[in-house]
Amino acid sequence: MVESIVSTGLAIGCIYALIGITYNVMFSASRVFSFTAGTLGMLGGVLGSLFIARLGLPVAVGFLLALAGGVLLGIVTEIVAVRPVLKSLDQHLYVLSTLALALMVQQFTAIEWGTEARPFPRLFDIARGGFDQEFWLPMLACLTVIVGLELLYRHTLIGRAFLAIAEDTYAARALGLPERSLRMASYALAGAIGALAGFAGGEMLLAFFGNGPMLTFYGFVPVALGGMGNNRGAVVAGLLLGLFQQTANFLVGGIFASVAVFTVFIIVLLARPEGLAGAAVQRRV
Amino acid sequence: MDAPMTQVRPSRADTLGATSTLGVALPFLALLVIGVTLPLFGGGYWGVIATRACVYWVLVSGLNLVVGFAGQIAIGWVALLTLGAYTTSVLAAGNVMPSLSPYLALAIAAVVGAIFGLIVGLPALRLRTFYFAITTLGFATIVTQVALAWQSVTGGGVGVAGPIFPKPFDSQWGFYYFCFGLAAICTWMTANIAASRFGRALTAIRDAEVAAEACGIAKPPLLALVFLFSGAVAAIAGGLFASLQSYITPDAFTLDLSVLFFIAILIGGRSSILGPLLGTILLTVLPEFAAPLVAWSTFLYAVLLLVIVLAMPGGIAELLDFKNRRPLESGRAIVPRPELLDRLLAAPADGGAGALTLEQVALAFGGVHAIDGLDLEIRSGQIHGLIGPNGSGKTTTLNVISGYYAQQSGAVRLNGAALPVLERHRRAHMRIARTFQTPRIVGSASVLQNVMIGGTIDGKCTFVESLLSLPRHRRDEVLLRDTAMLALSAVGLERLAPVRADRLQHSELRFTEIARALMLRPAFLLLDEPAAGLSAEEIGRLGALVVAIARAGTGVLLVEHHADLIFDICHHVTVLNLGKNLAAGTPADIRSHREVVNAYLGG
Amino acid sequence: MPISAADPLLDIAGLSSGYGKIGVLHGVNLTIGTGEVVALLGPNGAGKTTLLRAVSGLLPWSGSVRFGGRDLAGASPRDIVKAGLAHVVEGHRVFTQLAVLDNLLLAAYDLPRGERAARVEEALGLFPEIAAKRHERAAALSGGQQQILAVAQGLVRRPRLLMLDEPSAGLSPVLVDRVLVVVRRLRETGTAVLLVEQLIEKALALADRVYALARGAIVLEAGTGEADLPHRLEHAYLATAHVN
Repeated sequence: MVESIVSTGLAIGCIYALIGITYNVMFSASRVFSFTAGTLGMLGGVLGSLFIARLGLPVAVGFLLALAGGVLLGIVTEIVAVRPVLKSLDQHLYVLSTLALALMVQQFTAIEWGTEARPFPRLFDIARGGFDQEFWLPMLACLTVIVGLELLYRHTLIGRAFLAIAEDTYAARALGLPERSLRMASYALAGAIGALAGFAGGEMLLAFFGNGPMLTFYGFVPVALGGMGNNRGAVVAGLLLGLFQQTANFLVGGIFASVAVFTVFIIVLLARPEGLAGAAVQRRV
Repeated sequence: MDAPMTQVRPSRADTLGATSTLGVALPFLALLVIGVTLPLFGGGYWGVIATRACVYWVLVSGLNLVVGFAGQIAIGWVALLTLGAYTTSVLAAGNVMPSLSPYLALAIAAVVGAIFGLIVGLPALRLRTFYFAITTLGFATIVTQVALAWQSVTGGGVGVAGPIFPKPFDSQWGFYYFCFGLAAICTWMTANIAASRFGRALTAIRDAEVAAEACGIAKPPLLALVFLFSGAVAAIAGGLFASLQSYITPDAFTLDLSVLFFIAILIGGRSSILGPLLGTILLTVLPEFAAPLVAWSTFLYAVLLLVIVLAMPGGIAELLDFKNRRPLESGRAIVPRPELLDRLLAAPADGGAGALTLEQVALAFGGVHAIDGLDLEIRSGQIHGLIGPNGSGKTTTLNVISGYYAQQSGAVRLNGAALPVLERHRRAHMRIARTFQTPRIVGSASVLQNVMIGGTIDGKCTFVESLLSLPRHRRDEVLLRDTAMLALSAVGLERLAPVRADRLQHSELRFTEIARALMLRPAFLLLDEPAAGLSAEEIGRLGALVVAIARAGTGVLLVEHHADLIFDICHHVTVLNLGKNLAAGTPADIRSHREVVNAYLGG
Repeated sequence: MPISAADPLLDIAGLSSGYGKIGVLHGVNLTIGTGEVVALLGPNGAGKTTLLRAVSGLLPWSGSVRFGGRDLAGASPRDIVKAGLAHVVEGHRVFTQLAVLDNLLLAAYDLPRGERAARVEEALGLFPEIAAKRHERAAALSGGQQQILAVAQGLVRRPRLLMLDEPSAGLSPVLVDRVLVVVRRLRETGTAVLLVEQLIEKALALADRVYALARGAIVLEAGTGEADLPHRLEHAYLATAHVN
């Protein structure tokens, strides 16, 4: 029983962590949070099921198309919901514009794909049981993203440009860095990460339009607790969240587990609005 | 009052930025007439739609104060609809206790709603915008899940029957009139709040929080009141909703519904009652015109929201704001009338003459000494200039006096008594007023409303008295309006009183801020670089105004870059450099002081 | 049309700019010739930083700005850097989370990959004190060293005009002199410099010409060799009437 809780908890925690990283990558590039992060996770699962199960495409092709879908939504988010709002005086408009976009995608999915949860295809033809791919796929995805981002930020110029924009947009602009394309590239990357989260977690979460709001909330908890823009904090907080949720599920049942998670979240946030780890980089004032 | 005012006394309509009181009331009257006569020309089907619109509006009217006026992004307010619906239904049905009268059940639901409205809303005081939005979403999900799980009380997935109200409200049209009546009352109440110091204070918190604090507006109690009210009416709407549906299950309370409420307010426009009202009617009625639209309704609402946010953030209210489409006269000059200041700044009860002193105040940020052992004295009736190069600590000093920073050592005293640190919203109560380097005003409100915000703490009526438009509320409003017009006339902007503030030039906004500060009848006025961005002629008029303010008894601290203004009007000047007092004395002394000149020029 | 030797490298006419509704610059005229060092002085709040930001494309402006014969209207900061105009902003803002080397590589972002390393070495060669710390994070540098790093960033692109916004702010006198020595050397390589400074004597010692900006307009223009300059500057700063 314990190993079931641990494997489920860690697996789902990895999904939450990945959505948290999606939020963070968008945040680093633009200083705003986008409601589309959870929607991306939902899309990863739905598109995967659509291409592989329904249309019968090979797994690799379906995977790439699902990622492409995420990249597309990421770019659209930047162009339609973020860029126009960054120029305006009212900074809080981004909450509304990204909410509107997330709702549109959500509703479209509900109408075209349907409101029931559809099964997600088995990606590797291995027998079920033990430490199943349902569990290690999300963990593998999470590990890949963490390592990949580390390589990107430390060893490529564009990765370092992302870090520069995240730290000081004004200095980056003055230096001549292509701020706008870098931001769009960040959002494209975030889109891919979100879709990957949904795809890798597809078997566990199923291809279900309702995953959108669920991931929007549960994917934000790692960000809030781990600190804005802090990917390492998001991973730790995500894993803890997953374990906590599964334990509570086992002890008191699904509904009260949700209440428990929510209550703990609110209490921690009110006690430390900056998160447990604090903000990653102090912004220049 | 002795001399007659030469301008027309402003009406309530001017406060709301409309052409006449009738102009404001007309749309509401039209809706009232249509609503009352609806059974005559609408069939039963439209009756249901209309009832639903009324029920939704009961909730949205309260939520409007939270989202539209206070600017809090509370997306998950459907949670309160759910709470109200279940509370009323369960109490009326008698599942857990002997059944109560539906009216009593509704009243209890309102109390429950108020409490939970407060619980859901208060995190807004601590959390950033996005974080708060997410928590309200989480809360909405939790409430629905609890409704699903608590089968013994709520019937779980099976649901529970809604309350049936006794005659004459048990028929379809009877119930319609019940809901319509409540909707009309909610419209009236929230309109009263909008045109009260509470409504204006809410918009100040939303758009100019720092300035709101300087005017004495405390955010927590105000938001608490609004969340209580909003929660209560949302719960009442829930009870009505349950009755309308006849039977409720948890999946009647979807996120879509929450989104509808929220979008109705944003489509309607902020700081408006009519806009969200029309928005609610529009969103309720729209899907009925085309069957295929029903499935796509939430999608269309989201598209509408995106379009509004990107293209027309002001919403329907901005579309209907005909008055502010009229062009303003070009070549406007600001002509202050300092002689009016004596009436405005009547001699204070405590006798007047006093001093605001800084004794050896020190404050360091990191390793940098922003202020390093500063002594300063501002006396009533005198103008004290504070100058110095960038980074010398001028604005920091002003921020310490006005309570935005706490000094690490030394004392700031008002007539001998030490000022409490970091209590910036208490400074107004001590009649210390200030302006800001960049004018902080509510762009969507009229100039008159902005100035009236300055007098918020002088209002005597309570929230409930404003809600019900009781005599004391009306007296407050008249007094506040008159005082604000007097202040505007004194600074020379009375002709611009009904104009929306974001249409004004920078210099006019500067003088508007001064008028707002004067509303406190300040014993001490702190001006933060008021001359920046003003033409030479406007600087001259500013100088004359400040001189007159001082002559009326106010002590003025003038932080400035413009050396000419300082030397022209100040009685005393302190020169700061690197947080220390470099020199102090009369303008003549300072001007010839070698070190001062060098500090300015560097070297 | 070839640019004659008499055409200035930077030609600003009637420049107005500000922040939102607040107008800061009202019709500024200023020219800088190829290889010239020009000092821009003025009291705080006069608009010196605003002027630099307008020229480098960080702020919207109206009027006319021509650089190397090319009209800069509507150009983005990136275009302007590519055209050969570098702006070292106020406050030694470097990317503290990145290494010194990375900070310089980012300055070379638009250069072809092969050239980047060479240009970065070139810039480091001018400033041995930060060359020694090339792999350390910029956060580990002192304020003065960060300022030197910022100047080095500006030089990576071998600009035709380098604009420096108060490079001496917060620096010890020794480091100030280090920076100003490099500025002097730049003149020898043919790089023009627009130097905004608070330390008037040092700026005058270095510059060929000086402009004084007060309340958003030029109140004085003179060659640094002219007589009675300190007195005239003082007058221009503190007087109500404009002096020319």
